[in-house]
Amino acid sequence: MSRTRTLIAALRAELGAADPLPPPPPIPAIPAPPARVYTPRPERSGYAAHAAKHTTALVGIGHVGTRYATDVVLQFQAELAVAHAAVDAELPADWAAANGFQPVHTRATDHREFLLRPDLGRRLDEASLAAVRSQCTRGADVQIIVADGLSAVACVQSGKALADAVAAACGARGLTVGTPIAARYARVWLEDEIGQETGARVAMILLGERPGLGTGDGLSAYVVYAPRIGKTDGDRNMISNIHARGVPVEEAATRLAALASAMIAQKTSGVPLDLALLGLSRERSPRPPQVRQRLVTRGAP
Amino acid sequence: MQLASTIRGRGYRFGSVREVLAKANPKKSGDDLAGVSARDEVERVAARAVLADLTLAELRANPVIPYETDELTRVVEDELDEQAYRAVSHLSVGQFREWLLDIGTTGPTLRAIAPGLTPEMAAAACKLMSSFDLMTVGSKCQVVVRANTTLGLPGRLSSRCQPNHPIDDVEGILASMREGLSYGCGDAVIGINPATDSPESTAEILRAVDGVLKANDCPTQHCVLSHLVVQMKALELGCPMDLMFQSLAGTQDGNRAYGISIKLIDEAVAMMKEKGTTRGPNQMYFETGQGSALSSASNHDADQVTIEARCYGLARRYKPFLVNTVVGFIGPEYLEDGPQISRAALEDHFMGKLLGLPMGCDACFTYHARMSQDELESLKVLLGAAGCTYLMSLPVGDDIMLNYQSTSYHDIPTLRRLLGKRPTPEFDAWLAERGIWAGDAPGPNFGRAEAIR
Repeated sequence: MSRTRTLIAALRAELGAADPLPPPPPIPAIPAPPARVYTPRPERSGYAAHAAKHTTALVGIGHVGTRYATDVVLQFQAELAVAHAAVDAELPADWAAANGFQPVHTRATDHREFLLRPDLGRRLDEASLAAVRSQCTRGADVQIIVADGLSAVACVQSGKALADAVAAACGARGLTVGTPIAARYARVWLEDEIGQETGARVAMILLGERPGLGTGDGLSAYVVYAPRIGKTDGDRNMISNIHARGVPVEEAATRLAALASAMIAQKTSGVPLDLALLGLSRERSPRPPQVRQRLVTRGAP
Repeated sequence: MQLASTIRGRGYRFGSVREVLAKANPKKSGDDLAGVSARDEVERVAARAVLADLTLAELRANPVIPYETDELTRVVEDELDEQAYRAVSHLSVGQFREWLLDIGTTGPTLRAIAPGLTPEMAAAACKLMSSFDLMTVGSKCQVVVRANTTLGLPGRLSSRCQPNHPIDDVEGILASMREGLSYGCGDAVIGINPATDSPESTAEILRAVDGVLKANDCPTQHCVLSHLVVQMKALELGCPMDLMFQSLAGTQDGNRAYGISIKLIDEAVAMMKEKGTTRGPNQMYFETGQGSALSSASNHDADQVTIEARCYGLARRYKPFLVNTVVGFIGPEYLEDGPQISRAALEDHFMGKLLGLPMGCDACFTYHARMSQDELESLKVLLGAAGCTYLMSLPVGDDIMLNYQSTSYHDIPTLRRLLGKRPTPEFDAWLAERGIWAGDAPGPNFGRAEAIR
């Protein structure tokens, strides 16, 4: 026998022929674990009560071993699914016309290309460019554009309401508003080309923002003076988190119209724009944290 | 210098070392967006075949951005350790890869060689390596640093506690931070991305965090990740600051877009030496990430892996306590999906460690990239096995300010148990003393934020 075989045989003999593991212990009684429910019940813990007043972070949720309770897992998965659904949603082809907007498309030809090629989402395709040139009013004070951006859900939900509210707020300040436009597969800088082609003094794009966990309904607004291709982020002013739990539509519209007026008065936008003259507070809004909603309920509604 | 190769009788010719480096990369959406990637998988391999025969000396002689036009290239060239460089300069990239993987090439040797390597050399080796190759060499590298605590020792896995808040509500930040500490997180740093980038707000958050750490005798570091200039002004207000932060880009133009230059970082580092509140010697915290140069149109036709390595070439000048690649934050136009994000994380960890940096990774995704939570959990295990110095940690990994998905407070203790890892020795002792974590298991105060004063 080779040395190796001898060695293995001796080892095998030493380990014996019994089952490699001892018999399992007697089966214990397994009581159901205590209920761990999302959201944490503030009445149970001073910490959870204090935290809930100051943050929407998922704290005070406890643990099973080092992992999450089942109810937390379901909440977490539901929040992720809602965010992904918002990203995946597309603006219905007939939405723009049905809501009184001039429809336009960017050079992105499908949703994946839109996500991977931001450059294509910043430019109109040929047919849309021709439509903007032939169908839209020229030389208005403010050109309003609503767009899908990264959440068509947000655009469908409150894009029209925000566009109408901004138009009304601009009108109240004596500003003229161009033909309302709705854009598909659009990025922020698309406002530069549209504003340039309509000869508007200010261009304003209202588009779905990148969803967070459990939220896919926020709009952001970007405003630029003397729009033309080649403007950069430093030339723009923006308002984000426009949704029911953040900046409400009416408040956003008031601020956006004030921004447009200030740009026309100061003939500039972005970093050089003096916001102190706006009559709106620069301070962060003192609103309390948004309530994190429980998304999952067991059983039929 | 030979820039041609043949695959099944078909010839491939490349115009420059920069082009070879770019086309040798595994597929990344950001390289496609930049228009620098190979046209198909066969051309990719053809480029790798050319790269494998280039010597490290040829890579040094052909930086992807010329010496004359970029201050990062100048820093790398002027500060290269000639003795270490001479030891490896004759190797081809293929031979260099084999030498790195050799069992006889150990951590101390890699540490000695690191100052003689240029970013292009680290990037080149990376392009010839599989995930296991990257992990094998990454785990061999020895990078140990010290501020208040000692980070990067063998068998350790640390975490940044990241209690961000959308409107900087200090009580909200502290509530999340207490929860993190009670799960054994935060031994690398308590680091907050502020919503408001002002000196006063930076100082206010730092004072509050410092108060909690002192009240609990907790051994770690704190940092508020506002802009470098803002932190310098905060220091002048007289606030505590253990670590100073800045995002880095891999080109001079990219850093200009960030509002920084080498001269400015030099000034900031000098100021930290004087006014920083750690004993040091490592006091800086840098963040990087593939694709950031292209996003400011400052990539100079180089690929995003090589540009990322150049960030590390700059970072090592400042002997940082933490370097973190925020790998999935930038979005799908640079890293499209789970496989691309995972590959990039392992690449960045390898390149950073090889160049001598304490590499951590924010294993993460934004909600418009195609990555699942399961894929993200798998990546954390890969990083832990590769010896990654630290990961992030947040309540269920959800950043309520920056809106993306990262590592959770629960993930860190889970990973430590799965991989047999411990936090920094100082923090480990503190956790035991506080009844939060003992040995490899939770203690009675595990997950009890009430236990942190």
